Amino acid sequence: MQFHPEAIDGAFYARLREHYSDAEIVELGAFIGFNVGYHTFFRTLDFYPMFTPDGRLVSQEESRRVYGDTPGSHNREAVLRALAGETTDE
Amino acid sequence: MTFIEPISREEATERGLGPALDTFAEMGDAEAVFPRILAHAPKYAEALWGAMSEALYQGGVDHRLKELIRLQLAATAGDTYFSSLRSAEATAAGLTEGLVEAGLKGFGDDPQFTEAEKWALSYSYLMYREPEKLDAAFYDEGKQHFTEAQIMEIGGLVAIHYGMQVFMRTLQSE
Repeated sequence: MQFHPEAIDGAFYARLREHYSDAEIVELGAFIGFNVGYHTFFRTLDFYPMFTPDGRLVSQEESRRVYGDTPGSHNREAVLRALAGETTDE
Repeated sequence: MTFIEPISREEATERGLGPALDTFAEMGDAEAVFPRILAHAPKYAEALWGAMSEALYQGGVDHRLKELIRLQLAATAGDTYFSSLRSAEATAAGLTEGLVEAGLKGFGDDPQFTEAEKWALSYSYLMYREPEKLDAAFYDEGKQHFTEAQIMEIGGLVAIHYGMQVFMRTLQSE
């Protein structure tokens, strides 16, 4: 939807209908659109998740160290950094 | 024609989408296609339309500017449906097709727009094209024209409307 919307054509929707009802497809499409819109906006605000992947409540500075320059929730690198205890927020 | 058939007006109204149908009719879509598609998932429809409507029609930022932003975003999304709609309220407030066209690109040097409007139009223009340019310096410039609440209002408008436009683009077969 974000990168190749032209690929979502009639055949694509026909395939979706093999697995989902129209109500579920609308729910999925609206959910994806909502997230495409908001995550790009949030990224520009330069704020980070309040929790590390292992569930600790941390400051923005600590979260930045865990998640890196391009935060992505629960990506493998962030999980490893959090579990390895490379950083503390004490 | 859309890949998901809109539900009937009666059923959409029963599902609480009556006000949305009226608004879309005022904006030029008497069939109110988008809310009738959204009404397949009534709770989503109610929440999303509520957010879209609030973002566009309420708040402390000039509605005419927000309508300009909405139309610029629809062009960015490549969505012909939302591009074809016009807010009657914005039109009554002086929004012309010339201004709409001017707001799509090249607005940075256009004397028709104030510096605040240019910043807001740049904000929406860059959001999904070059978001890395929306850095601290860009936000600092925005704070010379808008309060933080107004900037969040514009950002929320941009996010919810662009999100629904990219979704709607995929639903259209023509």
